Amino acid sequence: MNIGLEHVSRRFGGFTALDDVNLEIRQGELLALLGPSGSGKTTLLRIIAGLDAPDEASGTRIRMDGEEIDWHKPRPHQVGFVFQHYALFRTMTVIENIAFGLRVKPRAERPNEAAIRARVNELLALIQLESVAGRYPSQLSGGQRQRVALARALAIEPRILLLDEPFGALDAKVRQDLRRWLRNLHDKIPVTSVLVTHDQEEALEVADRIVIMRAGRIEQAGTPEEVFHHPKSAFVMDFLGNVNLFHARLEGETPGDAKTQVRARPHDLEVSRVEGAGPAVRAKVTRIQTAGAVVRVEVATEEGEAVLIEVPHDRFNLADVAVGEVVFVRVKDARVFLEDYTI
Amino acid sequence: MAQLFALPEYGMTGSDSKWVRLVLITIALAFLFVMLVAPMAAVFIEAFSKGMAVYWRNITDPATLSAMRLTLAAAAISAPLNGLFGLAAAWAVTRFDFPGRSLLVTLIDLPFAVSPVIAGLVFVAAFGSQTVVGSWLAGHGLRIIFATPGIVLATLFVTFPFVARELIPLMQEQGTDDEQAAITLGASGWLVFWRVTMPRIRLALVYGLILANARAIGEFGAVSVVSGHVRGVTNTLPLHVEILYNEYNFTGAFAVASLLAIFALATIAAKNILEWRLRRARTEGEAS
Repeated sequence: MNIGLEHVSRRFGGFTALDDVNLEIRQGELLALLGPSGSGKTTLLRIIAGLDAPDEASGTRIRMDGEEIDWHKPRPHQVGFVFQHYALFRTMTVIENIAFGLRVKPRAERPNEAAIRARVNELLALIQLESVAGRYPSQLSGGQRQRVALARALAIEPRILLLDEPFGALDAKVRQDLRRWLRNLHDKIPVTSVLVTHDQEEALEVADRIVIMRAGRIEQAGTPEEVFHHPKSAFVMDFLGNVNLFHARLEGETPGDAKTQVRARPHDLEVSRVEGAGPAVRAKVTRIQTAGAVVRVEVATEEGEAVLIEVPHDRFNLADVAVGEVVFVRVKDARVFLEDYTI
Repeated sequence: MAQLFALPEYGMTGSDSKWVRLVLITIALAFLFVMLVAPMAAVFIEAFSKGMAVYWRNITDPATLSAMRLTLAAAAISAPLNGLFGLAAAWAVTRFDFPGRSLLVTLIDLPFAVSPVIAGLVFVAAFGSQTVVGSWLAGHGLRIIFATPGIVLATLFVTFPFVARELIPLMQEQGTDDEQAAITLGASGWLVFWRVTMPRIRLALVYGLILANARAIGEFGAVSVVSGHVRGVTNTLPLHVEILYNEYNFTGAFAVASLLAIFALATIAAKNILEWRLRRARTEGEAS
């Protein structure tokens, strides 16, 4: 399903959760709403689900497949919602949970018992939990519960799937497995999906498109590649990964001595024992961490700024630096944002 | 609990802790015996002191049977109303945000704080024959005070916090996610209530009703004010005990009292069984 949100705002007392948001969600995509807590991403999701309504304003519109809808009504059988804390019905077994959406349909639309059982079995196979079908939610692990919650939401064949921090309450390892599984599932069943998360890694790994939110507004929207490699603001760059800050002065085109900050990702820096060609910063190595996919070298510049550099193991071995040594840090790629932000 | 007090880290040597334990247990058991077991036994001993036949005559006396009917009727009428009110109040307080919400929470506790005598007097002041409402109702042939409706009202007043008090913390803790999930799955409000909400609060609701019922059967003060003590007409079991006692019919008073004691024991048994099941349900709930 295609969803269009126009001029959507939502205030809770004096707090502005959403501030004139415009967003187009495309048929079949997996969209991630990414942002720190309080940025309005969950409020936006709940408005799409019909669990909350935007403030009344003349330009506010919500369209689903081009058709304007009444946002005061819940949208049963169109929206599948997966909650952070699963919200499984604890008095029902896994089977009963998954079948719930089918059983509460009006009599005329309700499938017969055999059809319900067939659909539940199909979903149990999809989430690979046939073996625990008769158990209660309290007897399942967190990862299993979230898969059941997903199957329950999919049972009604929703036209859009909404996931509110679905992996937020899980261990790191389970979280990684589940998000890969979710990506595969979406490739198999390409139902339009919106995932809310504050974990940038999760968004970058899973989503087709990422919408980065900040203080109730959309900061940037684009594919993971676009937002990661071409951040439109310092906020986006900082939020999507580790960033080194260098204080600098702008010369040339801008009048006066404008002070500014240069941002560089740890993997866009290089460390070397020789000065070499091009500009470089002198620094002292304070820590080296080799246990990991890349080597993390921490250095301190002469101004006392701490800088983190990530280099592949083979490059690190070539560079041959040790803790306490004076080295040269070369910036391969960096960014300057003229309008800085404050948190 | 026991090991909390017997932890060796707290500097108690083995023999010390043994003595302390012995003394504390003795005090607790002695207190329990003097204050609870002995009086309870005395009730039954007195009741049966003139033999089984007299006991039977006492409890099948028409006035006693009438008092029992009235007591059970008042309890039976107040139980469903208590359930309804408790559910409505708990639902309103935990599911909606409205002006006066915290005032409502405070007011629910009022019957616990106020003396039952005052509860009775409140209804006399509101519905007594000398009041506007009371005389208008009397003109239409409806007596509230010194009649069954007054007894039911007084019973309701003193028992209505029980169910709400049980449900509010439980529903607060459970949150609204489950209900919202059910709504997004297409369930109507009615279905959400019966299939999702009710199974989760069922035990707590019954628990609240049991406590309310125990209080309804035993209530003396509030009912005493509005009843008028008309034997065989507006007498409840606790009031009947008092009348018999004041007439120096001790065996009769204790026989009726033994009925109340039996109700109390049955209530405690039911409450314990439910508490055990509730605890099990809650620990399961916590894990989910």
